[in-house]
Amino acid sequence: MAIIVNLDVMLAKRKMMLKELSEKVGVSTVNLSILKQGKVKAVRFSTLDAICSVLDCQPGDILEHTKD
Amino acid sequence: MKYIKHTPTRKDIKIWVSLFLLIVIIPLFVAIYSEGKNQVFLITSIIIIGFFILNLILRKSLSLKKYYTHPFNLLTSKVCYEKTYDIPKKLMFEKIIEVLNYSEFELVETNKDRFEILAITKISLKSWGENIYIDLDANENETIMKFCSVTIFQIYDWGKSEKNYNDLCEQIESSLTI
Repeated sequence: MAIIVNLDVMLAKRKMMLKELSEKVGVSTVNLSILKQGKVKAVRFSTLDAICSVLDCQPGDILEHTKD
Repeated sequence: MKYIKHTPTRKDIKIWVSLFLLIVIIPLFVAIYSEGKNQVFLITSIIIIGFFILNLILRKSLSLKKYYTHPFNLLTSKVCYEKTYDIPKKLMFEKIIEVLNYSEFELVETNKDRFEILAITKISLKSWGENIYIDLDANENETIMKFCSVTIFQIYDWGKSEKNYNDLCEQIESSLTI
């Protein structure tokens, strides 16, 4: 079981840089980079809400579940 | 090479003033009570206090890491740990700096090329403050964090070094929830 983070795909679709997202969401670039690589321990609903609002997408567009 | 230099705060100045008074007052008392008879004791006390103050001044430099962490330096207590994170080295380096900036530790100096960090803790009743040296090594996609907590002019750390390590690890773990 693994969670894949498709943040880079959504960023490319919206033609947005990580730094810009970081400024709009209020999460540091370091944390977003770690999230992008799927290395975070957990994501708060508030953070997910902010990211989805800025990228105008659904949580499912960013997070994907796959079976190993 | 990028360095973050320590700039003295008002609290630092107060500490330096206190230390200056200490170095003047103690030898003065020794001189008064010995009435000039015990010069050896006076000179020894001045050397010890002077060396102590020199240690406190020099501690804020990453270049003197080897001196403080050297096994032959018997005036310091050294405790080292290693922990592996599955985050790339460069990112982990920035993450630790971010964590240190929001923690009770004071970030003093970093070396981006050698992935070295120096942070210090505040002076407390148990210690004169510890130097925290963090080195990062890459192992494929993982990063090995080498943590070393060193007391200054103190041979027993009263468990402070272990506490520092646990606190930092806890803060890194909690910061991975975004």
